[in-house]
Parts: sequence; structure tokens; C-alpha cells
Amino acid sequence: MFSDFQNELHYNQLYPDFGFNTVLFENDFKGIFPELFLVLTILLLLVYGVILSTSKEKKYPLLIGNIGWLGLLGIFLTFVLLIKNPLSDGLIFYNTLIIDQETQFFKIIALGGSFFSILISLDYMKKEGLNGFEIIILTLLSTASILFLISSADFISMYLAIEFQSLCFYVMAGSKRDSEFSTEAGLKYFLLGAFSSGLLLFGCSLIYGFTGITNFTELGKLFTPGGQELVTGLYSLRGCELGMIFILVGLLFKLTAVPFHMWAPDVYEGAPTSITAFFSITPKISILAVFIRVFLEGFYDLMIDWQTILIFSAFFSMILGAVAALSQNKIKRLLAYSSIGHVGYLLVGLCCGTIEGIQGLLIYLVVYVLMTINIFGIVLFPLRREFINSVHRIKYTTDLGMMAKTNPVLAFTLTVSMFSIAGIPPLAGFYSKAFLFFATLSSNLYLLAVIGVLTSVVSCFYYIRVVKIMYFENPKNWLSFSQIPKESALVVGISFFFILFFVFYPSPLYLATHKVALFLSL
Amino acid sequence: MTLLLFCLLFPLFGALILLFVPSWNYKLIRSVALYISLGTFLLSLLLWIQFDNSTGKFQFMQSFALVEHAAKQPEYSSLTFIIGIDGISLFFIILTTFLIPVCILVGWKSIIVYVKEYCIAFLVLESLMICFFSVLDLLLFYVFFESVLIPMFIIIGIWGSRERKIRAAYQFFLYTLFGSVLMLLAILLIYFQSGTTDLQILYTTLFSETREILLWLFFFASFAVKVPMVPVHIWLPEAHVEAPTAGSVILAGIMLKLGTYGFLRLSLPFFPYACIYFTPLIYTMSVIAIIYTSLTTLRQVDLKKIIAYSSVAHMNFITIGLFTLNTQGVEGSVMLMLSHGIVSPALFLLVGVLYDRHKTRLLRYYAGCGRTMPLFAIMFLFFTMANLSLPGTSSFIGEFLVLTGLFQTNTFVAVLATTGTILGAAYALWLCNRVIYGIGKVYYINCFSDLTRREFFMFLPFVILVLWMGLQPEPFLNSLHSSIGNVVNHPFWK
Repeated sequence: MFSDFQNELHYNQLYPDFGFNTVLFENDFKGIFPELFLVLTILLLLVYGVILSTSKEKKYPLLIGNIGWLGLLGIFLTFVLLIKNPLSDGLIFYNTLIIDQETQFFKIIALGGSFFSILISLDYMKKEGLNGFEIIILTLLSTASILFLISSADFISMYLAIEFQSLCFYVMAGSKRDSEFSTEAGLKYFLLGAFSSGLLLFGCSLIYGFTGITNFTELGKLFTPGGQELVTGLYSLRGCELGMIFILVGLLFKLTAVPFHMWAPDVYEGAPTSITAFFSITPKISILAVFIRVFLEGFYDLMIDWQTILIFSAFFSMILGAVAALSQNKIKRLLAYSSIGHVGYLLVGLCCGTIEGIQGLLIYLVVYVLMTINIFGIVLFPLRREFINSVHRIKYTTDLGMMAKTNPVLAFTLTVSMFSIAGIPPLAGFYSKAFLFFATLSSNLYLLAVIGVLTSVVSCFYYIRVVKIMYFENPKNWLSFSQIPKESALVVGISFFFILFFVFYPSPLYLATHKVALFLSL
Repeated sequence: MTLLLFCLLFPLFGALILLFVPSWNYKLIRSVALYISLGTFLLSLLLWIQFDNSTGKFQFMQSFALVEHAAKQPEYSSLTFIIGIDGISLFFIILTTFLIPVCILVGWKSIIVYVKEYCIAFLVLESLMICFFSVLDLLLFYVFFESVLIPMFIIIGIWGSRERKIRAAYQFFLYTLFGSVLMLLAILLIYFQSGTTDLQILYTTLFSETREILLWLFFFASFAVKVPMVPVHIWLPEAHVEAPTAGSVILAGIMLKLGTYGFLRLSLPFFPYACIYFTPLIYTMSVIAIIYTSLTTLRQVDLKKIIAYSSVAHMNFITIGLFTLNTQGVEGSVMLMLSHGIVSPALFLLVGVLYDRHKTRLLRYYAGCGRTMPLFAIMFLFFTMANLSLPGTSSFIGEFLVLTGLFQTNTFVAVLATTGTILGAAYALWLCNRVIYGIGKVYYINCFSDLTRREFFMFLPFVILVLWMGLQPEPFLNSLHSSIGNVVNHPFWK
């Protein structure tokens, strides 16, 4: 007993900077084992792809399907490694990365999200002629960066991971080179993304300049009421607040929250639909994870400041998401605005800053991811053949006309997920919203709750319009749909069952999110 | 597994079976749906037989924890699926199960597209409504209150008759949703204050007076749309006119009762202070609605709209009865709800009969049906008389009790409400006159057929029920007494 204590003392003297659970540097690689595996897989796949796709004997094969399936296998194995990782708690790599229950939870969602979104887009990419296997590689790379971003515990690692992620995204958005929309989307995304990264970096450097700290946990310690020397001594609290606001703005840019949302609809529309599906699912997960990490750990004691800004942003995100989507005819733009609205709801959960708030956010996130996957799984599927080899895609909402007659099962699935995303009980989307509003009320943000429910009614208009188009309207020209690919059918089926039957057994999700939220707030 | 749970799952089970029947085999589908719904009806009658009249407690209770480990997590302790019925909900469940077979029968010949989906929609709707009337958890109450919207939206939109149906479905959906999201906020606020959504615990919870008023208003916003009270009643005639006959039957028979049932189940016992505080508001709005809609009925040309507006008038009579806050008034309004749930669907069915034959609902094409369709004329006259609450029919009992209760609390309102009876007689007789009497307009309509056997047997139970409730209301009132006594004998009102 005594010797243990002495050992610990000894280590603390040797490695004074180490945090709670870390004992030795040699354990660090165990901590990032999933990420390590994923990165190695990607490198292997890259080499494999480059060599094989340029080989003359094999007649320059198109590797998108092959690499896609191998990548999916890689993600699956990463997932297994993540769950079975013996090291589930600790600060690693000199306090730059953290692994705990929160990162575990977010990583599971992120891996699931990217797994499903690759799965639903394989067929799309093949048929659409996005033949470069590099898209899959980039998707996997961004997944790896998302994993790093989720577990970053330091401004430097956070910024590096965000940049890693964003660079992959810029290339992915512009990946369809023969389409003007796609190149424009890539350019727009790049410019605004680089700008927001600049803001983020400026915020980080302000914080570092005024405090000399880049670590979230230490930053949190500095701002506790004990650390009054900041206020009284160096007059740098204002500087820290400024830095915090820049960081906030940078992250809100990445999240497409309202005053900084302007790129989202264009990028969502311009990028190939499979990429859009990926965009609307995974970055939200990672950015929200780091959002929670920075603001509930680092800046928790400046909550009054950031809460106000977040309330503002959430308020207008909800309103814009509800109102602007009303007049959209293109389904991808509609989904883009709807995702802006949903970001508003997610931010509402963050505004609360309570256990219920975080839990509401996590539940909402999981349900939102599954609903989005479901909708994109249907939007992605091949629509009509005008010529033998051209596949048209669902572009306008009216393209879905009379889907109820041609593809009744798909139409019913889409109906259910539209009702769910509009928040109609007894579907999953309702429960997530109800819990979020409960959290909002319990932290006295009454205005946000009222606006939240009212905008959810307004947004019903356009979600239900899709249902109306599918069921009640007679289209001018009847479109024939080709068969939905098997893997998409699987994904859509799984998410459909989740949405429909969540009512009967919500307990696992509630418990898991509650555990994470408790862990975060303790 | 209690009988109630069985009764609730049986239609769902039927819907599940129907999923696996190929849709070309529509004869099999509709007979399976009919037998399943009749079976549910018998089960619900068994509920009544086994029901213990002597107590106001909830019976056939059953609960499932939706979120486990309640002890570890006090904030979810309440998220349980609790069902149980008392005297009030018993009759609504029976009414639901009674009307669903009728809905399937009425579409026997006229529904030719999507037969399978039609049957499934109605069976799912039935299950949801039984859930609504039996659930004893506030959040789930809201869930089922809302979830009936989805099947109803689809029923109106797909099997509705005209292009305007889409607009009607929209209006129906958005009005109701807009009203009820405020209720959601109120429910969350109650949850936040008391830490539970279990109705039985909440019956013993006291709220502060200002909060009671706020919460009452939020609940009111939702129930007033459903009832419908006057400024937010626009969705109802639209939805009724555009809905298929079976849709109208369900709308008039049960959907309208959701609001008044909500008042009775939640507003009265939860907010005793606010109920007294807002009684003048309810009285004013209801009286305006009664007079206004009765007068509006006179100038309608669409047969369904006339009956829809008369429904609005009756429903507002019911709300007045509820807020008399004495036994006669409340029991009368429950009786009136039941009787309206029988009479008004029967009238819609009759209009449906006309529509099936002649594909129009405009009044000006019809006259002299008494000469060519005698059975129809008898039925029409009978149910019109029941609608204007002729003594001897079920509505009379309800209306009489409501007025008795009302005269005890507020004579002036009672006098105004009584004028509603006169106006009701005015439009009902006027309608009867124009449809049944006179000389048939053979230049518009030149082939006639009376009620078929199926239709006749469809109407027969309605006739029997109306007469039974009108002449011998004791069995109904007996089961109601103790439950309503529970509601009315609130300590605050004594």
C-alpha cells in the first residue's frame, strides 16, 4: 500500500505534467489503437489502389467498389477495436488526446455514421461515374480525422484534427470535376472553411497568448472562481473572452449554425449527393463532440458569455431552418436548410449546460443521424433512365411524385422518416425533441422552448409537403424508378425500424446517453 | 396480460396479419379486417361486463417500464406505459371499437384502391385510439393524442373525394399540431415540476395558481382545436367534407371526443382553480360557437358541411356541460359525447350512402328521397330527430342533464345555450325537408336505389343504441357515476 503510494509520488515527480490516469508513455499507442489501425488501413488501401488501378495487365480496373468494401471492412474492424479497447480512460500523448466515455460514445456514432453513409453511396458512386477510388480514401481519412477530433483535449490537436477533416472535405466537395456545381461547391466550401479555420486559430492563439495554456482541462482550472488572478492581475479575462468568442464563431461556422450558415445550402446542393450525405452526418458529430469538450470543460465558468451567443445562434438557426426551407424546390437544398434547423435544436441542448441538456443533445444527435441516413438512403437511389446508360437522380422534390404508386414500401419509409424528423409522435424524432425541450424548460430557457416547438410546427409544412407529393399529387410525367441497391435497402431498413420502433424500447439509448452526460458533468 | 391489453393489441395483430396477405386478394383482406375489428368490439364489451361499477379507481391496470433501472434514475421513473380504464374511458373505448367495423363495412364497395392499406390504417388507428383512452401517463397521453394524426392525414389525403382534400388534410394536420405543441410544453413543465408523468400521482399534485392558469391555457390551446371551439374550428368542416365517409365517421365519432376527453381527464382534475377562473371564458366561447355554428349551418349547401357544423354546435354544448363542474352537467356531457359519437357518424354514413349513389353532396340536387328511397328516408329522419335531441333519443338525455347542471350554476348561459336547441331544430328540420320531402329532381338524378342489406344492417345497431340510450340510460350512467364523482368532488370545489 505504502509502496504504491511512493511509486505514484515517484512518477508524479518524474512526469509532473501527466494527468490522472496516465502512467507511462508506452501505453499511449494502446489508447489510439483504433485510429492507428484505421490510418494504416487507409495507407494500405491507397497503395493497393494506386498500384492496381494503374496496372496494364489488369486493364486499369475501376476500384471504387473493391476499395469501398475493403474500407467498410476497415471501419468495421476499427469499430471492433474501439469497443474492445482495454484502455478506455485516460489522457495520452502528453495530454493532447483524451479517451473517456464521451469520446467512446461519439466515436461509435461517428464510425456508424460514416459506415452507413459509405454503404449507401457505393452504388451511387459507381453509377454516377465517380470512378476515382480516392473518394473512398478521403472519406476514410476524414473518418480518421473525426476520431482524432473527438478525442482531442488540446487546442493544437483540435485545430490539427479540424484542418485534417476540413481538407478532406474540400476535396470531396469538389470531387465531381465535370460538374460546375461540384467545383463551385468545393471552392465555396474551401474559402469559407479556411476563413472559419482562421478565426478558430486566431481564437486559439488569443487564448494561448493571454494564458499560456492550450489544454482544455487546465484552461478549465484557470477559470474556476479560484483563479481570480486573471481578473484582478493581468486584465486578461477580456482577452480570454475574445479568444473564446473567436473559437465559438469558428466552430459555429463548421456546424453551419445560423449567422454563419451561408455556405451550407450551396455546398450541400453542389456536392455529389453521396458526399452531401456524408457532410450532413459526420462533421456534426465530431464538431459537437469538440464543442462539448471545449465549452463544458474549458470554458465552463464563462458560461454566461457563451450561453448568450449560443442562445442567439440556436434561436435563429431554428427559425431560419424552418422558414427558409419552406420555399425550396430542390430536395438537397431542402435537406440543407432542415439540417440548419436541426443544428439549432442541437445547440439548444448545448445552451442548457446541464446534464439533461447534454443528454438531450446526445439523444437528438443519434436519432438525427439515423433519420438523415434513412432519408439520404432513399434520396440516393437511382431514379429514371432516359437513355440506356444515363441515370437521373432525384433533384426536385416533385421528382418523388407518385412514388407511393411505383415504390410503395420506399414511399412509406420516407413518409415515416419525414414525420419523424418533423417530430410527430410516436416516432423517434418526437422523443428526441421532447427530451430536448424538457431540458430547456428545466434550465429556464422558456423562450427557446417556445420557439423550438413553434418552429417545429412550421417545419412540418415542408416535411409533410414531401409526403403530400409522394402520396396525393399526380405528377406531370411519371418517372420510373430502378431497383434500390441491396446495401442501401439494408441501411434504410435498419434505420426505419429504429425510427418506428424506438417507442417500444427507448431504454438503451437513454441509459447510454445518461451515462455519458453524467460522466461529462461530474 | 389483462383484457384491456389484449383488446389494445388485437387490432395491431390484425394489421400485422394483413401485411402478409397479398393485396390483390382484397376480399380476404376486408373480411379479415372486419372479423378482427368485430372481435375487438366483443373484447371491449367483455371489458364492460367485467367492469366494477362500484369504484372510481382505474381498473385493468397494467404497466411496463419503457426505461429500465428506474431506481437508479429518478428522472425517468415515470416513463412507463401504464394503462387502465375507469368509467369514463370505458365507454370511449367501446365507442371506438364499435365504430371501426362500421368504417370497414362502409368501404366494402366504395373503396376499390388500396384496400389493404385502408384496412391497415383503420386497424392501427383503432389501436392508437384505444391506447389514447386507456393510457395513464401524461407524456404518452400526448403521444397518442398526436399519433392519430398520421393515419388520419393519410386517410383524408388518399381516400378523400376531391382535389381540395390535400388542403383539408394540411389544415387538419397543422391546426391540430399547432395547438398541441403548446400542450407538449405544458406537459414538460409539469414533468419538470413534479418529476413524474404518472396521471395517478399527478392527480394529487398541486400547482401554484399562476402556473395553473398558464398550464390550463396551454392545454386549452390544444383541446380547443380538437373540440373545436369557435375561432379554431375551420379545419373541421374542411376535413369532414373532404374525408371519405369512414374518415368522417371516425372524425365525428372519436376524434372530436379527444379534446373533450382531455378536458375531463386532465384539465378538470389538474387545475381546479384555473377551471373556475376560466369558466366564463369557456361559457362565452361555447355559447358563441353554439349560436354561430347553428346559424352557419343554415346557409351551407354541402350536406356534409351541415352535419359538420352541427357537430361543432354539439361539441360546444359538451364543453359547457363539462365546466358546470357538477355531477349532472359532467355526466350529461359524457352522455352527450357518447350519443353524438353515435348519431353524428350515422348521419355521415347516410350522407355517404347518398354520395355513393349519386357522387354529389350538394343539397340542390337532392329532393324527394322519401319517395324513391323509403328506408333511407326513415333512417335519415330518425337520426335527424336524434340529432336535434328529441326526447326518447340518446341526445336528449345528455342535453337535458347538461341543461339541468347548467341552470344550477349560471341561468343566463343556460338560457342562451337552450336557444341552441331551437336553432338546432331549425337546421335539422330544414335539411330533412329538403332531402326527403318534395318532388324528386329527376333531371339531375335519374336512377335510385334504396339501402342495400349491408347498409341496413350497418345502421341497425346505431338505431338500437340511440333508442337504448334514450329510453334506458341507467346502465351507462351506473358505470359513470363513481368515476365522475371522483372528478367532480374535487376538494377545491367544495
